[in-house]
Amino acid sequence: MTYRPIERVIAPGQPHFVGDGFRVHNFIPHGASVSMERMSPFIMLDYNSKWEVPPVKAPLGVGVHPHRGFETVTIAYKGKVEHHDSSGGGGVIGEGDVQWMTAASGVLHKEFHEKEFSKAGGVFQMVQLWVNLPAKDKMSTPKYQAIAHDRMAQYPLPDGGGSIEVIAGNYNGAQGPATTFTPVHMYNARLNKGGKAEFEFPANYNTSLLVIEGAIRVNGTEQVATDHFVLLANKPGTIQVEATEEAVVLVLSGEPIDEPIAAHGPFVMNTQAEIMQAMHDYNQGKFGYLED
Amino acid sequence: MDQETIERFSDHMQRTGGLTAEEFEQIAHLLRSVRFTKGAVVLEPGSVCNHAFHVTHGLLRVAALDRDGNEHIVQFAPEGWYASDRSSMYFQEPSRLRIDAIEDTAAVMVGQDFVDAACAVSPKFAKSNTTLLHNHIRHMQDRIALLLGARAEERYQKFIAMYPDLTLRVPQRMIASYLGITPESLSRVRRDLAERNFRPRV
Repeated sequence: MTYRPIERVIAPGQPHFVGDGFRVHNFIPHGASVSMERMSPFIMLDYNSKWEVPPVKAPLGVGVHPHRGFETVTIAYKGKVEHHDSSGGGGVIGEGDVQWMTAASGVLHKEFHEKEFSKAGGVFQMVQLWVNLPAKDKMSTPKYQAIAHDRMAQYPLPDGGGSIEVIAGNYNGAQGPATTFTPVHMYNARLNKGGKAEFEFPANYNTSLLVIEGAIRVNGTEQVATDHFVLLANKPGTIQVEATEEAVVLVLSGEPIDEPIAAHGPFVMNTQAEIMQAMHDYNQGKFGYLED
Repeated sequence: MDQETIERFSDHMQRTGGLTAEEFEQIAHLLRSVRFTKGAVVLEPGSVCNHAFHVTHGLLRVAALDRDGNEHIVQFAPEGWYASDRSSMYFQEPSRLRIDAIEDTAAVMVGQDFVDAACAVSPKFAKSNTTLLHNHIRHMQDRIALLLGARAEERYQKFIAMYPDLTLRVPQRMIASYLGITPESLSRVRRDLAERNFRPRV
């Protein structure tokens, strides 16, 4: 078997806070080694590793902020998040659920730990991803896909090795419920100890693994510990993942969007002029209004 | 010395200050780069401001404190702006202002010695420095007129024209402080704008 080579394994760096509710390690973009272009269409990945949140009266989180030009994907592993937006939408993302928000032409939203979770406190663990949109879809209508855990496709692995939970894209015929604008595969590989899974994607698809729980061996040799990120080289081959202890691995692979990226804070467009327009529209209330 | 910060300032001086690369090189030894972490105090009220801080990365805030210790923001200095107390620097008198970092910031410390040396090597710089001073006065006059006579929305419109991305970088209460209005008034302005300009698409 030809293995798809590992380009690098990245250990979690010092966490920083997004608002006061998300204590994250940033893996995309990451220093000089992982640019937005290198992992396109995944242009940002913030990983909130397990964090024991004390009980608080006022929920922690991130206040009102805009987005334009891409999608935000929130994967809740532990804890719950409540969100509201300027179109009157909102909801709770519970454990195991995924929220896929297409900000596109513009959304104003806020995200906080869910009220009951905040009161009780507990372990909080999330991934937030930004998935870029191609130029032709950047100004499309915003929308949400609330993907409850029980709606995700499950592909059982042989010999009780565990299962591949498909959020988007396809794994051996199991089709994920999320619709995407460009080809994207997004899975949670839930592996029992000793369980093995193999993944094969087109060589040009930017591909990574993030170890959410447990520990794995990749391609038969590379030991990867919890909370570590694996960037695969853009070469053909199979990625073999074996759980050396019970593991959950977030697998991302997508066709790169070969267009210029102009990014400023919460806006990701193709040109600087479009960034200026986004700021202007936001300042002039064109994203709507949302009380803090 | 943080070479990248100095190089950015060199570019800025060549673009807007009329200095050539060679002229800048001759007097660059009079500059110092400095980094402030978020929350660091750059200038304490009561001390003399000996430098203008040219921000190459991050954001400084210049504020006046009232008798009760409440702060009133006089100016923001994002990338490309100076934060200083000009009168304290020129007249060498204690400042009434406080300057602090509201983001991690990289800046160049520009003292009177650099300004004097730059004027000596470059007549173009001397002229641009006078223009900069008058621009500053114009800005202050506009600001006084707005604070005395303009409605909240007009103040907000001037603010976003001058600082288009600060609404993304600083909390509403700081913008309200700069505008001389309450945070509630600022919320009202933004809500009114959204009511006029937001077209929800379903």
